[in-house]
Amino acid sequence: MISLLTQINPGLLLVLIGIVGSLMPVRRVRQGLMIATPVLGLVLLAAAPREVDLSVTSALGLELVLYRVDSLSFIFALAFLIASFLNAIYALHSDDQLQDGMALTYAGAAVAATLAGDLMTLFIFWEITAVSSVFLILRAGTKAAYNAAMRYLGIQILSGVLLLDGLAYVYKSTGELSLTAFTSFNDPGALFIFLAFAIKAAFPFLHNWLQDAYPKATVIGAVVLSAFTTKLAVYAFARMFPGFEILIWIGAVMTVFPVFFAVVENDLRKVLSYSLNNQLGFMICAIGIGTPLALNGAAGHAFAHIIYKGLLFMSMGAVLYRVGTTKASELGGLYKSMPWTTIFCIIGAMSISAFPLFSGFVAKSMTMSAVGQGGYAVVWMMLLFASAGVLEHSGIKIPYFTFFGHDSGRRVKEAPFNMLLAMGLASFICIAIGLPMIGGFGYGWLYGLLPCTAAAAADVCMLSGEEIKAYQPYTLDHVLTQMQLLILALLAFMVLKKYGFYPPERPGTILDTDWLYRRPGYGFFVWSGRVWDKLGPAMTTLAGRLASAAFNRLEAAFSPRGTLARGALTTSMAVWSVVLLGIVMAVTLIL
Amino acid sequence: MTQPPERDSSGRFVKPPSEDAAPDNRNVHPLSRILFGWVDHPRTPNLLLLLVATAAAGLFLADLVVDRHEYLSFAEWNGFYAWWGFGAFALAVLSGWPLGYLLRRDEDYYGEADTKPQDVEEPDE
Repeated sequence: MISLLTQINPGLLLVLIGIVGSLMPVRRVRQGLMIATPVLGLVLLAAAPREVDLSVTSALGLELVLYRVDSLSFIFALAFLIASFLNAIYALHSDDQLQDGMALTYAGAAVAATLAGDLMTLFIFWEITAVSSVFLILRAGTKAAYNAAMRYLGIQILSGVLLLDGLAYVYKSTGELSLTAFTSFNDPGALFIFLAFAIKAAFPFLHNWLQDAYPKATVIGAVVLSAFTTKLAVYAFARMFPGFEILIWIGAVMTVFPVFFAVVENDLRKVLSYSLNNQLGFMICAIGIGTPLALNGAAGHAFAHIIYKGLLFMSMGAVLYRVGTTKASELGGLYKSMPWTTIFCIIGAMSISAFPLFSGFVAKSMTMSAVGQGGYAVVWMMLLFASAGVLEHSGIKIPYFTFFGHDSGRRVKEAPFNMLLAMGLASFICIAIGLPMIGGFGYGWLYGLLPCTAAAAADVCMLSGEEIKAYQPYTLDHVLTQMQLLILALLAFMVLKKYGFYPPERPGTILDTDWLYRRPGYGFFVWSGRVWDKLGPAMTTLAGRLASAAFNRLEAAFSPRGTLARGALTTSMAVWSVVLLGIVMAVTLIL
Repeated sequence: MTQPPERDSSGRFVKPPSEDAAPDNRNVHPLSRILFGWVDHPRTPNLLLLLVATAAAGLFLADLVVDRHEYLSFAEWNGFYAWWGFGAFALAVLSGWPLGYLLRRDEDYYGEADTKPQDVEEPDE
């Protein structure tokens, strides 16, 4: 019985129950399923033996490994299942059949993709995440959401097609589809797969789908979306491209550029989307470093990030739900009516800013140390800049302009109880895994889940005989330097705000590189459409005229009333027959 | 981007609400009064600034005492993280001025201004 249970892939279970849920009209039954399934998934995942192919099938002559758990996939799948559980609680006040079901299917697809043991299985669930998540945007019901959802779907499917293309190349050159890490870009398959992952991880210039779609999703949809797609891509990079030096630089750029966009952006859900990008940069950078400490940093950061970013999106969702907007220029003073949401938002903000005692601190320290250890001074300075930037947009801007700042005069009700419960649980995790170890309680719980321990997974972490030293986040050095960074940045905020140097929040659309395809690109297609509208008929007319002219000529020559039919055959026919015979004889003689 | 001043029904200008006006304390959640009652106090901003500035000075002093070990030698300079944090924050915030002029367009620039999802609560009024 136990062995049978360990063969059930929790991701697949979530996908199937999600589909059932989207067809289940009875609200309480559906919501019960949405909460119970992730819990069951957690039990199944915990019971599964490690590094064994637990479920294998074959299709199209390929052997597919549907379910395989190791130390790297475990921490990601665990985070996804916890997020899915919290999201289900957060959604309890609503009654949206399709959204509930698709949220669970989407989470399940992310879990199943993480637990996939080969590229083809990864591809299948990679595509299911794209198709199921689009409903979370569409359900917002606005024209903006519809357009954004179509752009989102197009880009996500492109990522899937690139992955399929890449795995075909890999299959051709190696004859198998296992998830072994690449060592170079020599195989064109590696490049295609890299690009596919890059789109989902929102690399610079490929990032716009994220800031475009997430802020236009539903209240619940944005919370759900923030957890899965991008972290699945981070997992995929950690699995297949650890130690690729190019990732270090891409990651560093990813941490820095969103800081500037987040400063000027007015929609706070969009600010959080830029902040998401910045956080992914830290993880990608760590994967590029590729040492055991760095990979631990990336995985630990992803885990902590899924929870605190979800928490921040939940708090902004609660504000959106009650007030109807998340535009900074229209908010302020909400602490007077939403004190619980305020507290939870501040906990999320302190976690993402990596204040000591919060989860971001114990996770990000590993990445920073690994980059310093590798001697990448410029990258390290960029990450430090980005850390101050995180404090600016997620640590201060989000809570300050929503809950404090200039009082907007809006007095609303506190968020519904289920939202507060979900935020409370997320806050608890943020603090529980960030505290120093006291009596077996604290960051050690997170560190115990990290992929690269001395005992586990030599193939995941490329250990070259060296033991991994236990990492200590709470040293005097770390705490002091982190507090210096944060407190002085906070001082900068207060001084700039006091003397009026802080740019005011203004309504408006901030242009990003998606302008290229939304304006000139779209314009080009509209223009070519117009041109085609005119050119098409003109060309048809021209072709018709040419054809009829040619037909008239032929008819004039060959028809029964034509030139050739006129007069007797004798003279010309005889001459031509002689000429032809002569040619034939000449050819045979020469040959 | 200045808004035209609002007028009332008889066409007279309405005085805009000033940021310095006395705080509106109607309908405040009881928990907010307990937890955040101090926020609206007129002396709070200056006290907070003083507190943070003192903490900052304390952190500089602490750096003189603590013998830090860094992987990158320049980070061992006294108060390196503090200077970098202050500078980075100020740069990020001040860049908001030119970037705003450069990148900010009308809210309806893409014709997608209405982004209010349908699952928000309808106001009671």
